[in-house]
Amino acid sequence: MISFFSRQWQDWVHRRIPRADTRRFNQKNIFILPTGAGVVFGVLLVVMLLTAINYQNSLIYLTTFLLGTVFVGAIHQTHQNLSGLVLTLVQAGEGFVGEGIAFRLRAAAGKRGAVAIRLSCPGAAEVCFHVVPGQSEDVTLAVRGQARGYLRPERIRVETRFPFGLLKAWSWIRPLSSAVCYPRPRPAPEALATGEDGDDPQLVRDRQGTEQAELRPWREGDLSARVLWKRVARDGQMVVADWRGGAGQPDRLDFDAFPGVDHERRLSYLSALVLARASQGVPFGLNLPGERIEPDLGAVHVRRCLRALAVWRCDEPA
Amino acid sequence: MSRRDDRQRGRQPSRLPSQGLLWLMAAFIVLLLPQWDRLPAWLIAVCLVLAGWRWRAQRGRVRLPGRLPRMGIMALLIAVYIASVSGRFTVDTAASFFVLAVGLKWLETRNHRDFYVLFFILAYLASVNFLFRQEILWALVNFLALGLLLVALQVVNAPDLPDGLASGWRRLGGLFLKGLPFVILVFVFFPRMGPLWTVPLVSGHARSGLSDTLRPGDISHLAQSSERVFRVTFGGAVPAYRDRYWRGLVLDYLDGETWRQTGGAPVEPLARVATDGGVGPLAATEYEVLLEPTDRRWAFALAGSEAASGNLFEVEEDLFRFPRPADSPVRYRLRLTGLPKVPGTPLDATQRHRYLQLPEQGNPRARALAASLAGRLADTDVVAELLTRFRQQPYFYTLRPPAMPENGVDALLFDQRRGFCAHYAGATTFVLRAAGIPARIVMGYQGGEAGVDDEYLIVRQYDAHAWVEAWLDGRGWVRVDPTAAIAPARIESGLRDAVAEEGSFLESNPFSPQRYRDIALLQWASLQLDRINYQWQRWVVGYQGQSQMDLMSRLPGGLGLRELGYLTAGGVGVGLLALGLVSYVRSPREARRDGHRRLLEAWQALCRRAGVEVRPGDTPDDLAKRLARTRPEAGDTARRFARMINSHYYNPSAPASSSDLRRMRRTLSIIRRQLRGHRTGTGNAP
Repeated sequence: MISFFSRQWQDWVHRRIPRADTRRFNQKNIFILPTGAGVVFGVLLVVMLLTAINYQNSLIYLTTFLLGTVFVGAIHQTHQNLSGLVLTLVQAGEGFVGEGIAFRLRAAAGKRGAVAIRLSCPGAAEVCFHVVPGQSEDVTLAVRGQARGYLRPERIRVETRFPFGLLKAWSWIRPLSSAVCYPRPRPAPEALATGEDGDDPQLVRDRQGTEQAELRPWREGDLSARVLWKRVARDGQMVVADWRGGAGQPDRLDFDAFPGVDHERRLSYLSALVLARASQGVPFGLNLPGERIEPDLGAVHVRRCLRALAVWRCDEPA
Repeated sequence: MSRRDDRQRGRQPSRLPSQGLLWLMAAFIVLLLPQWDRLPAWLIAVCLVLAGWRWRAQRGRVRLPGRLPRMGIMALLIAVYIASVSGRFTVDTAASFFVLAVGLKWLETRNHRDFYVLFFILAYLASVNFLFRQEILWALVNFLALGLLLVALQVVNAPDLPDGLASGWRRLGGLFLKGLPFVILVFVFFPRMGPLWTVPLVSGHARSGLSDTLRPGDISHLAQSSERVFRVTFGGAVPAYRDRYWRGLVLDYLDGETWRQTGGAPVEPLARVATDGGVGPLAATEYEVLLEPTDRRWAFALAGSEAASGNLFEVEEDLFRFPRPADSPVRYRLRLTGLPKVPGTPLDATQRHRYLQLPEQGNPRARALAASLAGRLADTDVVAELLTRFRQQPYFYTLRPPAMPENGVDALLFDQRRGFCAHYAGATTFVLRAAGIPARIVMGYQGGEAGVDDEYLIVRQYDAHAWVEAWLDGRGWVRVDPTAAIAPARIESGLRDAVAEEGSFLESNPFSPQRYRDIALLQWASLQLDRINYQWQRWVVGYQGQSQMDLMSRLPGGLGLRELGYLTAGGVGVGLLALGLVSYVRSPREARRDGHRRLLEAWQALCRRAGVEVRPGDTPDDLAKRLARTRPEAGDTARRFARMINSHYYNPSAPASSSDLRRMRRTLSIIRRQLRGHRTGTGNAP
């Protein structure tokens, strides 16, 4: 019964607040209710009124009415505090499962400004900020990635209890854009294709990687990561380690290298391997069923690989 | 919660913003002010120490006590409190318990929840304070405290807001000003129903004032107080000073040296608070008394009055009583019947016995004097002779009477001859009774100085007086005031003149403005303040059931309580509706005000209708390009429109003008026409 009503309510809210990366808060989408403290405040007013009646004390009547008016004014002020605020999802970040993934939002205040606005979302630490009238403020909400793939919060709650904390006005922004959540890296077992000879596979590959590299002079377009900077320091020659001429595919991380292992787990292994390669600064490629990424180096490449792992066989939410 | 855990939290009590805590403490201290004289000193000291402790902990200087020490402190203080209260339950004790609770709460004010608990207790304390004091200045103090509380809430809800304090006060001020008309309307129209049930007395402590026993010298300490007892407004002429005898109670039983009431005061169940003090203009024979709280049921009245308002009734001995002790200011009305009551029947045996009662022994010389007087003179002449004796022999009226511990009447009449009104009234009653004339002591006030513009009289504690009433056959009870014979100035113009030579007027009360009558400015200020308070008391504090009905009956339509209820409910409803409407109307208008923004939206809508996808973040140029691709015929105009929009938003040197806006609007309608023309064109094509 309760779940039925709560689903009805959710549906209603979702109809009212469609997905969008920008939301302007106004009468149509702000909800307002007293907080716990507000309810107690109401009880206090009733007790005060009873005291006034039984003691026939005009000044207590006056105090009751004053505080009652403050409460009514607070309804207005709390609502106004949120009303006119425009919240835009500027950037949905990327990160690993289990990490906080940054959603960068820009809050632009209307004419009145917005004080003590709280952003919250399941799996994210609450963020509180103020915006000066007519200005904007960038805030980052770190949402914990729960599973590999696209991460799009169902809704981010925007709440304010200012000025007195007796009322809460809230609304939601339901972002359209998604963040990307990379598979959680897990140390890969030694079953990786290249690690046959029993030695530490990392070491072996390192050696191989360097040995198979062909050294050639630097030419325009080479990645700076490939320049042998030690050599430059030694004799001033810009020399680039080039693997393209190397034997076959020096280091191609392969989805099929872990037979019998669960797909998600394979992706986690690959994720760890990508990170290891990235930290060693060796080139690598990635083979996924349906997607091949040629060996390369650099942050952009690493990100591309991790993204590929993250969204492999995931559809971007509509 | 484990102890370790607790101690860790004790180490970091600064989760609450210091500013908020500071303002809450300030509110607490301000709220203690109106109670400074009724709270036990130890309680105030303890509260200040505990609040100081919390503050030092906030600054990281000390640690808050752990759970066990805290429990210890709590148990100790509550035990002390219970011992000091000793079973009485009044609002006074409840208020001091509130104060104690706040004091203890300081030690565990750790999070927002605690903060709100304190806020609620303090807000209620502010209204409890109104039970004790209703003067306008104290009301302002209380409202200031409420303001501090509300600012503290704002600080706690936005601790890191720059300039939060100033904006907090500003916001509160705005809220107050906007809400004030609403508050006034509700205050005037909210139906003042009668009390729903009886409530405990505000205070169980005896206030300074007359008491129901009289020892010689008792009243002289009241003479050192300039506190106001009541104010009187007369509908007709104000009686002469010497006729202003305000009768309060009668003492008729002499117990050793002490005068008491026969049988003592009866214990009666507490009645509900009644404020029916009469309404409408005063008739010429009526007068209205506004009595400060006395915690007694006595109403002070001139001789020969009858009750004219519903909140007091007449009892025997021509006195008036309230159904409930006056624990808050009471307004009541009386009517002068013109003539003192002449009794139809003589005193019966019981009454004679009662008013002739004397102790078996003591004061032999006074008894001898009485016997000699009674032997040669009739009752009326005995009284006259006694007064002549007081007038002619060197008796002195003094605020510094000598101690007369034994046979006080003899000592006063024959040896010392120095005393205050209580001495002389006691001695006179003694002699009259010894002479066989029924007599009794009346206690009350005599006199009253005029307020600003002679609007009303102010009677103060130093006007306290005791005099005698003697029963003379055929005349009934007759007032006999020995003080009038000894110090006529006391009765003609008041205590100040009566003790002017002695210089003892208010000598132990150097802060009373009444003491410095010769400083005109001070006197003027004091009277002006009194008038403001009087009006405040009458129109705001005293605005209760009957006076509301009175006001309403002057409005057309004749509103009853029920109509008032509907009116208030309707008013509140309409007010809320208006508020909602205002905010509803205001918000879209704000969006509308920006004409360019509206144009932009219309432009986006137009593109959407033409089948161009509009994504957030698209610039007008992007849209124009895409529109030109799908609908080439509108491309040029679209690009022109995009240029205009861009120059408005991104070229600050271009002045924003309405002609500029009009041009853009025209361009937009051209695009619209072009698009429509194309559509109809394709529609007509085979």
